[in-house]
Amino acid sequence: MMPSSHLLSLRGAPHLHADSAVPRLMLHSVIALLPVSVFAVFLFGLAALATVAVAILACLLAERVCGPRSALGDGSAILTGLLLGLSLPPALPLWMVAFGAFVAVAVGKHLFGGLGGPAFHPVLVGRVFLQAAFPSAMAQAWVAPLAAGRATELPATSLALPFLTPDAPYDGISGATPLSALKAGEAGEPLLSLWLGTVSGSVGETSALLLLLGGLYLVYRRVIDWRIPAALLGSVALFSAVLHAIDPERFPAMMTALGSGALMLGAWFLATDPGISPTTRRGAWLYGLAIGLLVVVIRQFSGQAEGVMYALLLGSALTPHIDRWTRPKPLSEGVEE
Amino acid sequence: MFGLRPAFPGGVRLPAVERHDSDALIRQMAFASLLRLPLRQHAGAASVAVVQPGDEVMRGQLLARAEADTAVPLHAPATGRVVRISAQPDGDGAAVGVIELAPAAGDTQEEITGRPLDPARCSPDELLRAIGDAGLVGLGGEAGSTHERLVRARAGGARVVVINGIEGEPGQARVPALLLRHGPDVIQGLRMVLRVLQTERSLLAVESHDGEAAGKLVQTVGADCGLTLRVLPPRYPQGAAGLLLRSLASNGADLNRAEAVVFSLATIAEIGRLLSRGWVMTDQLLTLSGDGLDKPGNYRVPLGTPIAFALAEAGARGDVERVLLGGPMRGKAVAGLERPIVKATTGLVAVAAGSAAGVPEPMACIRCGDCVTACPVQLHPAELGLLARRGENEAMFTDWYLDRCIECGCCSYVCPSHIPLVQMFRAARLQQRRLQRLAGEEVPA
Repeated sequence: MMPSSHLLSLRGAPHLHADSAVPRLMLHSVIALLPVSVFAVFLFGLAALATVAVAILACLLAERVCGPRSALGDGSAILTGLLLGLSLPPALPLWMVAFGAFVAVAVGKHLFGGLGGPAFHPVLVGRVFLQAAFPSAMAQAWVAPLAAGRATELPATSLALPFLTPDAPYDGISGATPLSALKAGEAGEPLLSLWLGTVSGSVGETSALLLLLGGLYLVYRRVIDWRIPAALLGSVALFSAVLHAIDPERFPAMMTALGSGALMLGAWFLATDPGISPTTRRGAWLYGLAIGLLVVVIRQFSGQAEGVMYALLLGSALTPHIDRWTRPKPLSEGVEE
Repeated sequence: MFGLRPAFPGGVRLPAVERHDSDALIRQMAFASLLRLPLRQHAGAASVAVVQPGDEVMRGQLLARAEADTAVPLHAPATGRVVRISAQPDGDGAAVGVIELAPAAGDTQEEITGRPLDPARCSPDELLRAIGDAGLVGLGGEAGSTHERLVRARAGGARVVVINGIEGEPGQARVPALLLRHGPDVIQGLRMVLRVLQTERSLLAVESHDGEAAGKLVQTVGADCGLTLRVLPPRYPQGAAGLLLRSLASNGADLNRAEAVVFSLATIAEIGRLLSRGWVMTDQLLTLSGDGLDKPGNYRVPLGTPIAFALAEAGARGDVERVLLGGPMRGKAVAGLERPIVKATTGLVAVAAGSAAGVPEPMACIRCGDCVTACPVQLHPAELGLLARRGENEAMFTDWYLDRCIECGCCSYVCPSHIPLVQMFRAARLQQRRLQRLAGEEVPA
């Protein structure tokens, strides 16, 4: 028999919901980053594993300390830690990794109001902090890919004590990442190894191909708006092709520009963060275009080898303005029936 | 399908609709022991009772007459006795009269036969009057007086009749039942409306899952009254008239929006069914759906039937936890199962316990913009949601056009943070209307 009326539940419509939820979005992003994470451990061994693990743990700690109790369950701290770990040089002292990761979540996220609040990506905040606080470590803590003994031992610098070893002896042999080599006017890596990722670089940024695959997975899962990476990469391709045509000696070719540095990680996983990117489709195109232009300008005309981080920060500063320019106009006629 | 695209912005793709043979079935529902007939069952003014407690009435006899333009007459759904006329609160807290009618035992549900009308032999005014006298209202959810709608359409120079064959809510199956079981009524009703409006152009719009049934109807009987068919890909809320006209216009239909008038398929079919037999509106074709029913499907339900009775007839199980009037996207959850089925009811959903459990707590807005993309009238639900939380209702209307919201629920449907967006908007709009009423402004109900 039917229940009596006073037992009925009275929630307002709609009574259906699409199959989407914040924790699931985070989960898909982590899945998309798995191939490149596994590859990073293969490439840099224990150093990569330790960097990523410490970054995730420090983010979870910051989330627990600064956020509401329920926030741990949404998975966003894990994603922040993973992304930050993947974007750092492999031999960076682990205490710096932890420090940066804590700052990313505590300052970059919770000081801006928690999930959905930050105007800048917490990962970028953490990375900029490290860049500003420890410039020499950030510029030198590279290790050679596929080095012998990488599976069993950490680079000496990883275990450096906080603040006590300011000028740690960084592994000099592979001091140059492909981008810094180019900046210095040296010959770049072959295109194939650049895209496969068997080169020196940040933990999870070397393999453009695997990052591309992960990004496509997110597009397939409808987690990210494909327009942002499309516009961003298209813009980088366009401007670097133009520069290369003007002076092939000085400016790298288009495919080199696309395959190197933090570009792929930034385009698919950082620029697409919903909180820092525009809400409209037209806005997404503008945003990607602007960041792409900034990447090329900073890489080629500044003192920095890599410009993705600063381009993303400047791009997200544009977001509120882009949102205002592209604000949708409501339909004018009534739509009753 | 056919390269057509829904051509309104946004909307959502709901799970695909599968049609079954049983969807065309219509079961007649028995009489409850007491029918409760509010004097206002639609969007418009209440009608005025013309019977007294104790009166014996015949099925189809006038119970209340329409005095205002927006009112419609009310007729007895069953032969029986008027037990009582009481005043009860309606949804908004105002009092409305309710005629309580006890059907006579053994009533056979035979309709009193009035004068059947043939559209070819009646004048437009005669038909218009008959539509008014039959107590018809729009059955697509808008529920205004059909008579008044036609009067306005005629005055406004409507040239094209668009039949809206798009199910307003997921889970409903009235469209296949009407197309397959009431084809001749649809055609009769269309002829009548065309005659009233003195025009010949008409168009039937359905979504692809009903394309086959609609095609059959148009081929067999529709050709000689110039009815053309448009099959659109499914997209919610395409059934909203303004969005439907957009979809049609940009899918190549030769359609001037200002000249078109939209009637729901159910309304057209009911005009034809009633007038060609000389009947008046005494029941309502409803889809009863939901996982709490053992016998879901289409039922012809006498007006005034208590919801509890209708659900029991459709095999409601003991674990029904929530009952929705309409459908799952826009339907109001009912508080009392003794409330009656009225002319404005478009469907009934019984949700079993457990199936809707675990509605997640809302999380913070992550500014993903999914709601902005989904909004079919291109509002900015995320921004509106922030304003609502801060209680800045004024700005929601003046700066962000909340008055244009159609409350379709797409924003809440897609929100990954489960923020009750449309729920907050409904509350803000209700408050706004009440404030305006207090300030003495004319506000439509």
